[in-house]
Amino acid sequence: MQAVLAGDTERYAELVGRYRDRYARYAARMLGSADAAEDAVQDAFIRAYDQLAQCREPDNFVGWFFLILRNRCLAEQRRARGAVSLDAAGAVAAKERPDGAVEANEQRHALQRALLGLTPEQREVFVLKHVEGMSYDDIAERLGTSVPSLKMRMHRAYDRLRAHLRDQA
Amino acid sequence: MTDFHPLVKRLLDGEVTLADLPPALRAEGEEALRLLAAVDRERVVVSPALDERVMTAVRSRAAAPSAWRWLNRPREIRVRLRPWMLAPALAAAAALVLLVARPTPPLPLAPRMVTVRFVLVAPEAHQVAVAGTFNQWDAGATPLLRAGAPGVWTATLTLPAGNHQYAFVVDGARWVPDPAAPTVNDGFGRRNSVLTL
Amino acid sequence: MTIRVSILLVVVATVAAPLRAQQDVAARLAGRVPQEVIALVRQLSADAAARGLPVEPLIQKAIEGGAKAVPADRIAAAVRGVVVQLDGAAAALADAGLTPPDTETIAAGAFALNAGLDGRDVASLARVAGRANRATIALRVAGTLSALGVPAAETVTLVSEMMRAGRGPAELTALPARLQAEVARGATPAQAATGLARAAAAPGRSPQPPRRGPPPRPPN
Repeated sequence: MQAVLAGDTERYAELVGRYRDRYARYAARMLGSADAAEDAVQDAFIRAYDQLAQCREPDNFVGWFFLILRNRCLAEQRRARGAVSLDAAGAVAAKERPDGAVEANEQRHALQRALLGLTPEQREVFVLKHVEGMSYDDIAERLGTSVPSLKMRMHRAYDRLRAHLRDQA
Repeated sequence: MTDFHPLVKRLLDGEVTLADLPPALRAEGEEALRLLAAVDRERVVVSPALDERVMTAVRSRAAAPSAWRWLNRPREIRVRLRPWMLAPALAAAAALVLLVARPTPPLPLAPRMVTVRFVLVAPEAHQVAVAGTFNQWDAGATPLLRAGAPGVWTATLTLPAGNHQYAFVVDGARWVPDPAAPTVNDGFGRRNSVLTL
Repeated sequence: MTIRVSILLVVVATVAAPLRAQQDVAARLAGRVPQEVIALVRQLSADAAARGLPVEPLIQKAIEGGAKAVPADRIAAAVRGVVVQLDGAAAALADAGLTPPDTETIAAGAFALNAGLDGRDVASLARVAGRANRATIALRVAGTLSALGVPAAETVTLVSEMMRAGRGPAELTALPARLQAEVARGATPAQAATGLARAAAAPGRSPQPPRRGPPPRPPN
């Protein structure tokens, strides 16, 4: 980070390589499309570079980059509101497991479709906890909110997911 | 359509195990766990072409002469606390300007850089950002982070000397000028805050 | 030797900047504002640059409009408004004898106009300043004071007194904060400004003697 701040642009490539997959999964689950996720991650890295010059807390890069990406995903979802294509979920889940049973793949598709039916806030807490494996405390700190309000969001998400899956069955 | 039983939700949260559930809830618990098992945790591998696209954009920015290039030779600046005015009640805002310095004769072309901390007291907000002439009015680019004191959001930036206009963006959509800073007409029917460094 | 190189670089930078900015217009606005706004801003920038006006304020205003999700026709109106202010500032500076006016000073003048001062106030401040960099700072500070609610006459008096008393850029830039402190203590902006103007002209605080030769280099 200090190297990049000191003007060594090429070192930024290291940061990009180190963090991109980690955040691509979050973006993919949030946006329901691998392509949209790539765009969001790419865009966030470029914005983060622009702001790097002004970021005075380089140790906070991870938390701060995450917020830039998160904002980008939320903006993208607002733009696409009402136009969420259920086929998009297929595009992400389309990577069939070679060893997987057909039924398991269908269940994954179904859940991703159901996830896209949640509000962005509900989807986010679900993805951070059950895909990224973060604890409620970590999520609360990252998003700047309280654990009880996260749980409330999550529990509503559980119910809506259940309802979506039943409707799809 | 029924909701999951609260105990089953705790199972989903990982706070209890299937064995902790009463027999009447076992079936529901198993349904819940099947739901979780369907979560796709597979790592998403992004094409390496992304790195190159990012670096292309980054290199062209580095090549373009701009104020941020001068950070290679950081200018030092004066320390002075500006009076911090906290408006009462909710969604009050204050801008605390911290100028940090060591005396150095300025080079003729280098703009003086000043460290500025933006502070917003907004307990009701879920996310806060600052957007202005220094970051292309990009509401996604400069988020404020919670500072520790409840409802207090901050971000610290280093900006070139001169005139800057900005506003806070609350929850992604509400543009809020800084009530403790001077404001001017933005030409769109709203007000922008002014920062003169 | 060093000084000559610096001047050359300043000249190159001043000439290169508007050209580069023009090519940048489409690149910087792409995706942020509707196509028709990009076309308009390109045209207005080209004309403005030809008149010696800074182009950056137009681009910034368009980007701002795009970010705030303002309809295209309102963005167009706002950008045209910026051009009017830039022209007004350039004319006032020319009246004050700062010819040709430099783009940073014009931008500062336009800011002052937007903040509530008029052409005569801008010309008056520029006259007292006497040269471009002092005028730039004076106009930025005056605009900020006006934005804080200080009426035009008191603003011009305060900033002029500070300059006449030989106060430097740092003290000028500090004026808005000092004014806010006075207002927090209960003064109206006009009263606070008048008080500060009196203090500026007060005897016992002699202005800095002019420096001779280059400033001493600090030890490394």
